[in-house]
Amino acid sequence: MTAMPAARPRSPAVGYWIGFAVVVGLLVVAPLVLPPFWQRFATEILIWGLLAMSSDILIGYTGMVSFGHSAFFGLGMYGAAAALLTVKPPSLGLAVLYGLVAAGGAAVFVAYFATRLRDIYFAISTLVFSQIFYVIIFTWTEVTGGENGLTFGQPRLSLLGLGSDRFTPTTFHWFVLAVVLISYLLVRRITQSPFGQVLQSIRENEPRTRAIGYHVERYKIVAVMLSGLFAGLAGVLYAFQNKFAAPDFVFFVVSGEVVIFNVMGGMGTLVGPFAGAAFFLLLREGLSRFLTEYYLIPLGIIFVIMIIFLPQGLLGFLRRRLNA
Amino acid sequence: MLVLENVDAHYGKSHVLHGVSIEVRSGEVVGLLGRNGVGKTTTLKTIMGMARRTGGRITFEGRDLHGVPPHGLAGLGIAWVPEERRIFRLLTVLENLRTGLDRAGMTPERREALLEKVYTYFPILKERRNQAGGTLSGGEQQMLAIARAMMLEPKIILLDEPTEGLMPRMVAQIQEIVHALHRDGVAILLVEQNVPLTLDAAGRVYIMEKGAVRHHASSAELRADQRVIHEYLGV
Amino acid sequence: MDQILVQTLHGLVNGMVLAMVASGLTLIFGIMDIVNFAHGDLLMLGAFVGASVLGVTGNYWLALLGAALVIAALGAVLQVTTLRPLIGRDPLTTILATFGISLVIQKYALWQWGPSVRRISEPVPGDFTLFHLQYPWYRIATAVLAGLILGGLWLFLKYGKYGIWIRATTQDRVMAQAMGIPVPLVYTAVFAIGSAMAAASGVLFGPFAGVTQTMGFDFTLRAFIVVVVGGMGNLGGSILASIFVSLLESYAAIVVSPAQAVIVSFVVLVLTMLFRPTGLFVPTPK
Repeated sequence: MTAMPAARPRSPAVGYWIGFAVVVGLLVVAPLVLPPFWQRFATEILIWGLLAMSSDILIGYTGMVSFGHSAFFGLGMYGAAAALLTVKPPSLGLAVLYGLVAAGGAAVFVAYFATRLRDIYFAISTLVFSQIFYVIIFTWTEVTGGENGLTFGQPRLSLLGLGSDRFTPTTFHWFVLAVVLISYLLVRRITQSPFGQVLQSIRENEPRTRAIGYHVERYKIVAVMLSGLFAGLAGVLYAFQNKFAAPDFVFFVVSGEVVIFNVMGGMGTLVGPFAGAAFFLLLREGLSRFLTEYYLIPLGIIFVIMIIFLPQGLLGFLRRRLNA
Repeated sequence: MLVLENVDAHYGKSHVLHGVSIEVRSGEVVGLLGRNGVGKTTTLKTIMGMARRTGGRITFEGRDLHGVPPHGLAGLGIAWVPEERRIFRLLTVLENLRTGLDRAGMTPERREALLEKVYTYFPILKERRNQAGGTLSGGEQQMLAIARAMMLEPKIILLDEPTEGLMPRMVAQIQEIVHALHRDGVAILLVEQNVPLTLDAAGRVYIMEKGAVRHHASSAELRADQRVIHEYLGV
Repeated sequence: MDQILVQTLHGLVNGMVLAMVASGLTLIFGIMDIVNFAHGDLLMLGAFVGASVLGVTGNYWLALLGAALVIAALGAVLQVTTLRPLIGRDPLTTILATFGISLVIQKYALWQWGPSVRRISEPVPGDFTLFHLQYPWYRIATAVLAGLILGGLWLFLKYGKYGIWIRATTQDRVMAQAMGIPVPLVYTAVFAIGSAMAAASGVLFGPFAGVTQTMGFDFTLRAFIVVVVGGMGNLGGSILASIFVSLLESYAAIVVSPAQAVIVSFVVLVLTMLFRPTGLFVPTPK
């Protein structure tokens, strides 16, 4: 047991918050200065970053590898689609609600297994689940549109009955930014709380945490629920942006990419996943211009090299700072 | 032949060995005594490269062992019989022996001869040669562990608490084996808690406490003056 | 009734091929705790190499051998360059590394051979009649061949000097090293053997459905399932589990579509993990 240092900063240095403010500022200004393609790109990075952050709750904080986030993401997407297609006029709030409920339901299911299976078995079973959902969605054509997915219109910006404007790409970007920011701050609050400390303790040494008296199962269940809900939220936002839902997003490769974002960006930092998503997506954009669909070859190699030589990811060095 | 000079070792962050200096000359039987947890097994593990040596030097026949990979020690002539025996439970007795017997440079004749020699030492192993290692009794497993080490035709055997948990009859057998190995010219670094056996088998003895060597004397001296033994082992 | 018979044959044949794939995976996992995500892609690569060799030489056996050797060499190189540095680290890193390798291999195959489906023609032509059914000979031949290869593997592990090294290292790596067994080399060799098994399976399976870049993932997934159900590291168990799961899937395909039949194996996996996590075909640990 290492002794606790005498004085530990409860929050990271001012430098971090300044950097944070700069990045947020850039993101706010982005849609005003970027050409349309890059504008959309920035919004997408935010959405994928949110998805990756939700995965970080499990991988980075609780030490549970999950390949199932494509399921939560996809269910959020299809849930929103359901609301937007069945309830007229299309309601933003309802779409969010449906999406979260769908993802949450899947999360409960996964959570049950999380508490009974450890490590590799849990990882494999999450992979299997995302594939089960994929198969169901792919083959239940009447409900889910099967291979072709579902298309629908974008809801209007209307919160609690106030306002009713159509989204412009700019205002949509700000909407996503706001949602992502609130999510980040919320998750950050949670991971810094005693609850978050217990999660990290579970990651470090599960038997010891259990021995101390914590009900590890309950904590894991909550962690999975949280993770699933935010992943579902990302799915809802994606549905809003693209106005379609397709089974491709439920295929496990998406889960794999999410884990890649986590590793590249730095696990256990919450901001790392965003950096990882940005890094990966920018690389993909750049490489595919020269290599079309073969961009994955150098990108995959870069990924493997990072695992070997830079396992803490781009922002991993921030981990200690951010998690006091 | 085997020399530990001022060796420090760590398990993770724990500093477990402090300046240990031990020497075993060719053909000698040297004892390593001490209470539970003083670092005797850790010393053997450090020689075998399983604990991190953070200070001092370990040389064998003049050659620094630093940088020798763990699987290279057997080739140099160092054999290890661990405290838990660690026989391969799912392999048969013969297969256990073959892990050492099937070395480079062993002709079929030499292998036959070595196997027969070991069977004469341990007839029970010959009887059980096609049985899975995990089905043997504790005493038989100990014999298998020693026999397996002998397959390497080692210059030195690191023997860790061979009599632990054995019945008196088996203990006597182990004592016999140690004598026989000594006659064959094999050096032995014997870690034990059984004091009489150690004093009988070994010429010199080191006594450890809290990760360091506290006393070093010949068995004769220790037999003559029992106080030292009382002090360090409370026996 | 006919349907059941045909599906039984399908199940048995597919089970044997799957057993070959799973055996490589379980060997690798048993000895070095690596969950090889790229296993199915090595199979796919083997199938492509086999198809190419077949195209050049016209000889099925050369194709089988060539694929096995090439992929074995590739496996050895991969293990030494990317997996050896990761020994001792969190097992998560090897899953991720093999996942990364899997992506690279898939796209490489696309680049090298293009998107069209390759064909490996049947080594043995014609059908044989069982009662009044026709069933292709080559499928039976494939199952027999798989069985022979697995038998050879078993003999090698049981009686060969290197087989003993492999089994000893699997049981106790540290003690194996103390006995002078060069464990790093054993790891590389086992990975190469596993890769060769996967590649050979790919060539064997080639005539069934054509060779495509995506054929690997299905096998990886099923092989994982079978390895867990059979008991991780347990060769005999994974063979039994392969046949068991394949039969179940084949029978399920009578009632639902093949795409949905795969859910059966998922269910078996989940039930195994919940109630008999050490494996269905493993005696209950005492």
